Amino acid sequence: MTLVRQIVRRAASASQRSLLALTLEHGPWYLLQLTLAVLLVGPIVSLGLYALARSWFYPQLLPLEWTLQPLMRQLSSPATSAALSSSLLTASSATLLALLLGIPAARVLGLRRFRGRDLVLLILFLPNVVPPLAIGMGLNILFLRLGLAGSTLGVVLVHLVPVLPYAIFALLGVFERYDESYELQARTLGANPLQVWLWVMLPLAGPGIAVAALFAFLVSWSQYILTLLIGGGQVMTLPLLLFSAVSGGNPTTIAVLALLFAAPPLVAIALAARALSSGAATVGQQY
Amino acid sequence: MTRIDLIELQKIYPRQQQPAVANISLEVTSGSLMALLGPSGSGKSTLLKLIAGIEHPDRGQVLLDGQSVLGLPAHRRGAVLMFQKAYLFPFLSVADNIAFGLKIQGQRQSTIQSEVARMLALVELPGMQQRRPSQLSGGEQQRVALARALVTQPRVLLLDEPFSSLDTTVRQTLQEAVRRIQRELGITTLLVTHDQSEAMAMADYVALLDHGRLLARDTPRHLFQRPPTRSAARLMGISTFLSGELHGNQLQTSLGSLFVEPAGATNGPATYAIRPEHLQLLAQPGINTLPAHVLSHSFRGEHSEYQLRVGDTTLRMRAFQPITIPEGGRVYVQLPPEQLFRLESENDHDSKGACEHA
Repeated sequence: MTLVRQIVRRAASASQRSLLALTLEHGPWYLLQLTLAVLLVGPIVSLGLYALARSWFYPQLLPLEWTLQPLMRQLSSPATSAALSSSLLTASSATLLALLLGIPAARVLGLRRFRGRDLVLLILFLPNVVPPLAIGMGLNILFLRLGLAGSTLGVVLVHLVPVLPYAIFALLGVFERYDESYELQARTLGANPLQVWLWVMLPLAGPGIAVAALFAFLVSWSQYILTLLIGGGQVMTLPLLLFSAVSGGNPTTIAVLALLFAAPPLVAIALAARALSSGAATVGQQY
Repeated sequence: MTRIDLIELQKIYPRQQQPAVANISLEVTSGSLMALLGPSGSGKSTLLKLIAGIEHPDRGQVLLDGQSVLGLPAHRRGAVLMFQKAYLFPFLSVADNIAFGLKIQGQRQSTIQSEVARMLALVELPGMQQRRPSQLSGGEQQRVALARALVTQPRVLLLDEPFSSLDTTVRQTLQEAVRRIQRELGITTLLVTHDQSEAMAMADYVALLDHGRLLARDTPRHLFQRPPTRSAARLMGISTFLSGELHGNQLQTSLGSLFVEPAGATNGPATYAIRPEHLQLLAQPGINTLPAHVLSHSFRGEHSEYQLRVGDTTLRMRAFQPITIPEGGRVYVQLPPEQLFRLESENDHDSKGACEHA
């Protein structure tokens, strides 16, 4: 909307120039911006329209009547809130585990050069190359034997397969630019290893860790196939609920669930963008 | 006030042939400032890391006040390191940076505040508490780093070339500040440097290191004027060595016979050295003169360097006053007997020509 206003203002201010010249001059750039905006915001707007429409038939551009009823119904439905909390639980557990494993791993991979480092990076990359269906099938057998199939823990663990590489690659960038001497300095000032982690490493690498956490959360949040295979229908996360609603065919229900599904990532991205823009100014500014 | 004793310290890094620190024994008296002087790769920084507990020796002992600290982790040794870069934590203000060590000790907020203010006054940066590290110049950052190191009242202060990235004037004022504060607090300090004049200006004692070995340990003045061995002399900027047979007060070299001060020296093979600024150019032959050609001369600001050809060797001379001699002109170089001093023989003594220029 600001974009439209901007175009209008530009057009008005340049009224002495021909509109054609203006369009030729700035046209491609604005067209690109407009296309991006339509592509990114359009689907969400249309979801919003569907979710809030009571009756919406062919010739009309907008719904005739508006209602909050389906939204409230979905929000108060026990199945939806169970799926929502299950999704939040698995995604945040997977994120936490990925950070716990990923920070030390990325630290070593980023700061040290050792034989076999490239091989480790290749292996880390593999889960993104092999189709998840193949991984899921294979792991399903293993998890059944271990008694992990159908449990939330099993789903969290299987989510780590795609989540961990993302987290490590995001953290790798942080630690390749990390200067360990800050830690040595803190050690000689009397900080024990735990204090060095909490008071030096985390603040220094904080913004990068936030980005990695965001990646990890989003990758886990949007898992469908692996959740279905390992959860075996007993762990109902939001994507699973959404898929069953899609086969049900009620556009309002689909739209409401899809909005719920899209909301946490959008909030997370907005928060991360803010944290990064303020955090980036403090890190690495010294030299 | 803490005495440091290093006993037969040895450190070899993995995948390296040469030891970084080879069998070094050194005593630093309490409250003194000792400079570790040597070229890069001489093991001086490694020595600091061994004392700080960041690296661990393969052999030997590190004693603080007679007690071994090898069993203590770095954060409990009370030995604070300062590096070439200030390494101020960029996410903390100046005050919080200085308070870092005190917060770890669990000091009270009121104590911390007054200590931070006292330290900032000591390093001559009063009222800078709320600045960010990025708002400070390089010299100010090092001052804050010094305050942060001193506020914890460490037993030992270890300085790893903390001035080398600063420009000359800032470096000099900071050197003076560190020396003043070190004297005021009486804190035992080790200063690593490759800058000879820095070591001379700041230290009570200088330890000369090369290739992980301790070459000499003496007061700056004595080490500068009378380095004990040939390799120590080389590091102190001496390049004129005269080897020959000593008979009484005469040294027979392949260049000719020279008078020296006998000083109870035994007759036989001996090596003498002379500082480049003690050589003198004369127009006429005199005592201890050798005929020479001026090969080249370069103006270095405070002094001029002359390359002299004597016989089949080259001598390097330093003069603080301009000398008017045409290049290639015939002159006489004088080696005043009182400035020639005898070197102890070394195991790796090389038997090159009578007079050699490194």
